[in-house]
Amino acid sequence: MKVSGGFAMDYDFISFKGTQDGIYIHIKEGDFNHIKEELDMKLSKFGSFFKGGQIVAFKGMKLSEYEESQLRNIVNDKYKLKVLEEENIQEDNIKETKESGYFQGIEEGMTSFIRTTVRSGQIIQYEGNIVVLGDVNPGGIIEAKGNIVVLGTLRGVAHAGCDGNRNAIVSAYDLKPTQLRIADLIARSPDGEVIKSSRWPEVAKIEGDEVVIETYLPKNNL
Amino acid sequence: MGKVLVITSGKGGVGKTTTTANIGTGLAMLGKKVVVADADIGLRNLDVVMGLENRIVYDIVDVVEKTCRLKQGLIRDKRYEGLYLLPAAQTKDKNAIKPEQMLELCNELKEEFDYVLIDSPAGIEQGFQNSIVGADEAIIVTTPEISAVRDADRVIGLLEARGLHNPKLIVNRLRPEMVKKGDMMNIEDMIDILAIELLGVVPDDESIVISTNRGEPVVTDEAALSGKAFRNISKRILGEEVELMNLEIEDGKLTKIFKILFGK
Repeated sequence: MKVSGGFAMDYDFISFKGTQDGIYIHIKEGDFNHIKEELDMKLSKFGSFFKGGQIVAFKGMKLSEYEESQLRNIVNDKYKLKVLEEENIQEDNIKETKESGYFQGIEEGMTSFIRTTVRSGQIIQYEGNIVVLGDVNPGGIIEAKGNIVVLGTLRGVAHAGCDGNRNAIVSAYDLKPTQLRIADLIARSPDGEVIKSSRWPEVAKIEGDEVVIETYLPKNNL
Repeated sequence: MGKVLVITSGKGGVGKTTTTANIGTGLAMLGKKVVVADADIGLRNLDVVMGLENRIVYDIVDVVEKTCRLKQGLIRDKRYEGLYLLPAAQTKDKNAIKPEQMLELCNELKEEFDYVLIDSPAGIEQGFQNSIVGADEAIIVTTPEISAVRDADRVIGLLEARGLHNPKLIVNRLRPEMVKKGDMMNIEDMIDILAIELLGVVPDDESIVISTNRGEPVVTDEAALSGKAFRNISKRILGEEVELMNLEIEDGKLTKIFKILFGK
């Protein structure tokens, strides 16, 4: 590497963290080229130290597939360090999605847990299922490619299977949404009716060409 | 070719949205083709007051960004044939629309509708600027409070600087009995300061709270005094001459006799 030590040391994106499982490479948010440069430099300096060890994963900054593969190449090919091929649910789901045109992981797939109340003007979008541990207030929007489960009151708008999966469901402990959307269907509550809180959780799904809402009772499981 | 009216106030909470919903509905009741547009992006309310929140799929930002066609963004009112709502976006902010886009939108709406009512956000920043850019006329809403009148005065100045002359005034939430006792500013005081034409006076009325919460503009309520005030305002907008109604509460018999006897 041609960069002088002083200059290169100015970057401080990369740190190595040893754990029981192996070594994590922790990356701070920053310019990807600088990150690559620094990783290369640090491994050329300390690489021998990690010999025989196993790099488990990259952590910190979100990497695109391409970026991650570039970093893997440096670690793997240039410094001959093993990188664990992680069993990646995300990749599986994405592969399935590519084959069918929409997200498939509604039985088993990646899920995002939101531990807060979603308020008016907030929009939560995720490539998989969404579980909200809180309420969704009017004006709040939940958009999931998979199922939506709200462990509170759903008063806002929920869109399940938003890239086309008609088998997706929306369920909530107290289901009184402004609007319900599943795949390409939109439903709203009838005018002039005040929705009473049902004493039971409810589940909305598509039956035929309509969104129907059913009380969730343990016996009529999904 | 229709007219674009912006409803604005400077101060928040004086009743712009309620006024917009009621005038819009009032004009539609008189057979006009009307669209009410919510320019309060990020804090939308007009849809709730009109009771149309659960029909929103696209909003004003989608329309100006051409994510959807104008027709798709317009929500038809559930009561009146010629009434439409263009809702604001809730997940974006005031800077999501540029003044040029707003102007283009107003011109497009003007082609289709007799009246385009724009519900302006409070304040005098970007959102306000956007809401007035395409307007032909302005309606200022104020309440009988010094702070609201002060802000209204500021807004009238800003409108004039933008070439919007002769805005009309609506005094909202007037309490006749307080004015009588001298505890509230009276209409004359306000006209004195603001020096613009009075379009109407809306009394403080419980029915407004009730109807707003129900999502049914009070103008449709035959019994409500405030509903009548809004019906009169709608007629005046169409150029009819309607006398200002008597907001005074019926005096009791004794007071009447007292008045006759002493001439006061």
